[in-house]
Amino acid sequence: MDCIINVEKEVDNVIGKFSSVQDKTDQILMDLITNLQKLQRDLIFLSTSNQCELSGIQTVIINQNIAKIRDTISQVAMNHREIHGAVSKVGKVLDKNFISNYSHLTSDTFKQEGLNPYLLNQAIIEHFLRQGMLEIGEELMREAKISVPEEKKNPFSELNDILAGLKKHNVKPALEWIKANKEKLGDRHTQLEFKLHRLQFIEYLRQGVHKQKEMIEYARQNFQSFADDHEKEMQSLMGSLVFLKSGIAQSPYSHLLDPINWNEICDIFTRDACSLLGMSVESPLSVTFNAGTIALPALLNLRQVMLQSSVPSVWTTKDELPIPIDLGKNSQYHSIFACPILRQQSNDSNPPMKLICGHVISKDALNKLTIGNKLKCPYCPVEQNPTDARQIQF
Amino acid sequence: MDELDAAKCCKRRLEHLKEYCNPRATETSIKQWKKRRLDRMLVEHFLRSGYYDSAIKLAVHSNIEHLTNIDLFLVSRQVEESLLRKETGQCLAWCHDNKSKLRKIKSPLEFNLRQQEFIEFIRQNKRIEAIKHARKYLSCVEGDQKIDLQHVMGLLAFSPDTEVEPYRTLFEESRWSNLVEQFRQANFKLYQLSPTSVFAITLQSGLSALKTPQCYSKETEKNPDCPVCSDLLNKLAMPLPCSHCSQSRLVCHISGQPLNEHNHPMVLPNGNVYGELSLKQMAIDNGGKIICPRSKEVYDLKDAEKVYVM
Repeated sequence: MDCIINVEKEVDNVIGKFSSVQDKTDQILMDLITNLQKLQRDLIFLSTSNQCELSGIQTVIINQNIAKIRDTISQVAMNHREIHGAVSKVGKVLDKNFISNYSHLTSDTFKQEGLNPYLLNQAIIEHFLRQGMLEIGEELMREAKISVPEEKKNPFSELNDILAGLKKHNVKPALEWIKANKEKLGDRHTQLEFKLHRLQFIEYLRQGVHKQKEMIEYARQNFQSFADDHEKEMQSLMGSLVFLKSGIAQSPYSHLLDPINWNEICDIFTRDACSLLGMSVESPLSVTFNAGTIALPALLNLRQVMLQSSVPSVWTTKDELPIPIDLGKNSQYHSIFACPILRQQSNDSNPPMKLICGHVISKDALNKLTIGNKLKCPYCPVEQNPTDARQIQF
Repeated sequence: MDELDAAKCCKRRLEHLKEYCNPRATETSIKQWKKRRLDRMLVEHFLRSGYYDSAIKLAVHSNIEHLTNIDLFLVSRQVEESLLRKETGQCLAWCHDNKSKLRKIKSPLEFNLRQQEFIEFIRQNKRIEAIKHARKYLSCVEGDQKIDLQHVMGLLAFSPDTEVEPYRTLFEESRWSNLVEQFRQANFKLYQLSPTSVFAITLQSGLSALKTPQCYSKETEKNPDCPVCSDLLNKLAMPLPCSHCSQSRLVCHISGQPLNEHNHPMVLPNGNVYGELSLKQMAIDNGGKIICPRSKEVYDLKDAEKVYVM
């Protein structure tokens, strides 16, 4: 956030300078032009009155004017230089506050050649398909010369049509889709359906007073079945009716008109539809990308530290990132057992073992702690035979 | 006027970035912002990879034209296409426009272009013109370029179908695509753009941060919501390092809920661990019986024992 403010200050500075310089220059030029026009009139007058020689005073005036023009030019040039100073400062602040080159990270942490472009493009295409951006996906297929089998595309094209409808603020195809898939959607359909009806209502609201009758009719027809679960939202919808005449935009209900509602419904719809098709709820690409935006700053910081302490290469184990990265609770998809004794992640050759007291340590730790035929649990006083420990799986 | 536009463009982008830090931002608007960020990076990635039409379509679709450098890349598109048609004119004009900056970053682009022109003359067997061309443009070289130039001059003695190295490689068509690549890099450097795609790097670090050994073990261990377990990303992440973890992070295999003091991990007699809450729910649904989802073995709820993970 700080960096944004810093840069913004400079950019504002530049824009301010631009306009002030522009005003100033305009002013000076206007003055100059009026002066010159006066001079021109004088000269024309002179030439009509048959006086061929210029009087001494007139020569002086002309010379003065010429000098003035020169001054103005140099002044304008100076102002322009001043702007340049400000502009280059923006560049410097930008460099300082944002990172422009990420490439050094690749060479250290990851394999040099990067991601396989063919697979990457396929993943991107799938992302587009499931986002309902069929057209863009197809364009990419064409440009990247990748073909995706028809049967993979088909379920998405229906989705695509519905989303196109939603983009045009038309909820009908979506509602029909819900009706057709009611069984499979289960509990989820009420949530989505109510949201759609709500948006239809808001759409009427947006169109103004003359739709009032339709609105009330629509609400009577469609909202009844949702009354239990969405009482609050419905109240606020009905409340908005009061302000219909004076204009919703100025009322406390103006947030209802926010176009973000429509974007949201597109997302919710895509999500539900994807889960119906047996795919993960969120697009894998966007989840990964968001995880990346969290991981990247940490990795960049790490690199900075490593450079300063001049440790040439700590990445002795290339198969693991050097630091843990916390992506938040929602991004945890697998159990990871790290042995509390050895601080190592378990794997197939070093699985977690449950002692008879219920404590879990890794097999390697178990072997290290065993003396003779006896093992004392590192966490409680229980002594046991190491063969009594059982392998478990999280 | 161009400068003013650029400044305004800067301002708009800053406004966009500020939206994210806006304390009044709701969850929905943050989500939308993140989606736009992804689209933004995708557009940039497409532009870099040369998928210009896709980039434009996506930018228009997501209404982010003002946040991307499409204009910049459209200029380079023209140059690249002309290079692929084996025309050097546009690229040379571009070099001329950015002469001082190119000299500052010591780009050998112009020299390489002239060299290629020379090679083309030889290919067409116009050796006199080639010599004239060399006298005109290739007379002032320095440093490493001298060796290159000597090889190129050596071409005068060979025909295009020669088998002698290094002259054979000099006649190869792939030199033109190399020129395109060189031009791209010079262009990025000139505008201080990162030479690699930010999207790809972010995706890589994301894949790494999410990747666990389980994503590559047996089919039953896979989690349909895990992005790295999905087919394509799974293959993509193959060469990348795994995430690092020195503290156990356990989730219930059934519900995906974290396992902790509120949701105790319970081990079944077959060694599989599940969350207490999921097992209890399953026992209620199945009349006190638990069916292990992995092995399909049937147990009683009281068979499950608590385990303690530090």
